[in-house]
Amino acid sequence: MRLAIRELWRRPGRFVVATVILTLIALLLMFLGGLLDGLVAGSTGALRAQRGQLIVFSTTARNSLVRSRITPETRTQVDGVAGAVNVGGIGSVQLGSRVPGHGPRDLVPVVLMGYELAPRGLPATPPPAGEAFADSSLESQGVHRGTTVALGPARTPITIIGFVDDTRYLGQATLWGSLATWRATQSANRPGERVGPGVVQALVVRSAAPHAATPAAIDAATSGATTTLTIGQSIDALPGVSQQQTVFDQIIGVTVVIAIVVVALFFALITIERTALYGVLKALGASSSALFWGVLVQALIVTLIASAIGVVASLIVAAVIPPGTIPFVATPLRLISSIAFLVIAAVIGCAFSLRRVLRIDPASAIGGGQ
Amino acid sequence: MFLAFREIGRAKTRFGLLIAAIALLVFLILTQQALQTGLITSFIGAIERQSAPVLVYSVDGERTLQGSSITPDLEAGIARVPGVAHTGRIGQRTFTVAIDGRAQSDAAIIGYEHADLGAPQPLSAGRLPAAPGEAVGSEGDFRIGQKVAVLGSAGRPDLTVVGLARDAQIQVTPTLSVRWPDYVAAARATNPDAAAILPNVIGVRPDAGISDTQITARINAALPQADALTRSQAAADTPGVTAVTSSFDVIFLLFALVVPLVTGLFFLIITLQKSRALTLLRAIGAPSGVLVRALLVQVLIILGGGILVGTLLYAPLSQTKVGSLSLRFDPAAVLTWAVLLLVLGVASAFAAIARVLRIDPVEATTGEGGR
Repeated sequence: MRLAIRELWRRPGRFVVATVILTLIALLLMFLGGLLDGLVAGSTGALRAQRGQLIVFSTTARNSLVRSRITPETRTQVDGVAGAVNVGGIGSVQLGSRVPGHGPRDLVPVVLMGYELAPRGLPATPPPAGEAFADSSLESQGVHRGTTVALGPARTPITIIGFVDDTRYLGQATLWGSLATWRATQSANRPGERVGPGVVQALVVRSAAPHAATPAAIDAATSGATTTLTIGQSIDALPGVSQQQTVFDQIIGVTVVIAIVVVALFFALITIERTALYGVLKALGASSSALFWGVLVQALIVTLIASAIGVVASLIVAAVIPPGTIPFVATPLRLISSIAFLVIAAVIGCAFSLRRVLRIDPASAIGGGQ
Repeated sequence: MFLAFREIGRAKTRFGLLIAAIALLVFLILTQQALQTGLITSFIGAIERQSAPVLVYSVDGERTLQGSSITPDLEAGIARVPGVAHTGRIGQRTFTVAIDGRAQSDAAIIGYEHADLGAPQPLSAGRLPAAPGEAVGSEGDFRIGQKVAVLGSAGRPDLTVVGLARDAQIQVTPTLSVRWPDYVAAARATNPDAAAILPNVIGVRPDAGISDTQITARINAALPQADALTRSQAAADTPGVTAVTSSFDVIFLLFALVVPLVTGLFFLIITLQKSRALTLLRAIGAPSGVLVRALLVQVLIILGGGILVGTLLYAPLSQTKVGSLSLRFDPAAVLTWAVLLLVLGVASAFAAIARVLRIDPVEATTGEGGR
């Protein structure tokens, strides 16, 4: 093992190619993972921020917030369910917003959310009509406290009175106002989606305690007019989220396989080059396991150096990217799992050299192999 | 050359495994390529294959069909722009439907006012709607004669499929194209509180002698609220298309790197392993060119075999459907990737060739040829 480390120390040039390729793979793995986490966070923030545990959609909406429509009668039925402690309506409308200072065709897409039960970071009482809290990612678009943005073709004015973090929805920044603000804005800008008094798109339900039977009880109380999902299920039902996850997981999987191939081929090459040397070492009494451990340690050190560069680069990228631009986040879990993947790839890759090391005949050191 | 074939014949497992690895990679590349093409076609096919040469969005819609909303003032303004011959309303929403009374599913419904400004074209079977309640469905998702019920809280308008259009999906959703009144009826059935059902875009046909590009420029100059695009621009600029393309490009780049990497390192390793034999061959008079040619023949056999097997694996898969995505065998993609991988693979053998060229026949007498 000491020999392996000494070789790395004295002849680092020999390992430069593998380190560079593995660093590129580490960067790719961490950047892809960070991008995936950023995309998912940017799509699901508004749902993750909810303090309720359940979301009630109308059955024919197939779990789509935009298509869902809950009437006051249905809401009364949900209110009466034993497990439902607090019930609040929620509505959304996706519009282009005109921000002061931007060009006439330079719109910022936003989702105006109307709420009753305050999500995390928002006051219990929704803001007065015409006012809203904005997702903090809008600050990078020149939106500040006191800014009045004009929403949609009707130019509905909404004044920003504060900011809230991590509440983006379907990749867009959100504005959080009262249900009245949402209704008025939707009617003015999307008359075809106007809703009547008391109608909301969905209900957020706060249960007293985790109660597995509450969703079924709610749907039974409404005679099947509703479909009740947990927050997690609602996130999974968001269009594109699971597809995004699948595509990125696939790319990450392929990248890990590439890492295995690179390590396997590189250390196989090194082992072949050192066959004669290993023969001498074996003739001097070194065991096959000691020689293989040496190869493994070298692979792990190279991998850890590549991973460290990847981690530092990911943290720098995450720090310098302005919020609301590229959806990239560097979470400890993602960075650690990426390192773990690379280490596993290094170990598996090295295992392919084990057979070669075992097959080396010590007699070859004195010409026995010739 | 003789040596190249003999070596492959004697080490079938080793070379067979490499062919299998490359075949798997080629299969994955072609499958991903088919997925990318299918995904983009399903995302914007209905825009590419509709009859209006120019589509006018509202600036607020940011080039998404469903996000755009045309106010009556804007609609009237578009019709008044000099050079505009005809205009027609086009709307699109996603609905929950039941096909032939079966379980609920999603369907996008596109409504058009005039058949020459928004109807799907060409049709692969049947005809365009001629009576109320008729629809053209995206091929592969619907069959002629099927009954589709739009499930709403205020009614269940029924549609009958009378025609089919190939590659006519939007947003990767089974798609129906109907006449404007049927679209409005479907929208009202799902939201009885709706006020006016506004069009999402306006289809425009320019006067004779005015090109599509000229009319888009005129509309955009005259109306700050309008975002006029030609049909192909509207399809290409739909948000999400670039993201899908970029994601797949990353995968393709990875694959394109792996194939030469694997091939190059494989041949470098076997060249090192047999360097003693190669030195001996050089010592008894074999020219370097013969050895290099033998190496290149092996590289071409391995790559050619891998590409052939990979393509044969891909062929049956390309005839299937993944969810609502229809895959298709694309000969151009197969040819492009085959040429690219052959070139990259041969280039990757450069390190092994360099090693062969460096062999000094004298080493056969010193025993160094084995290193």
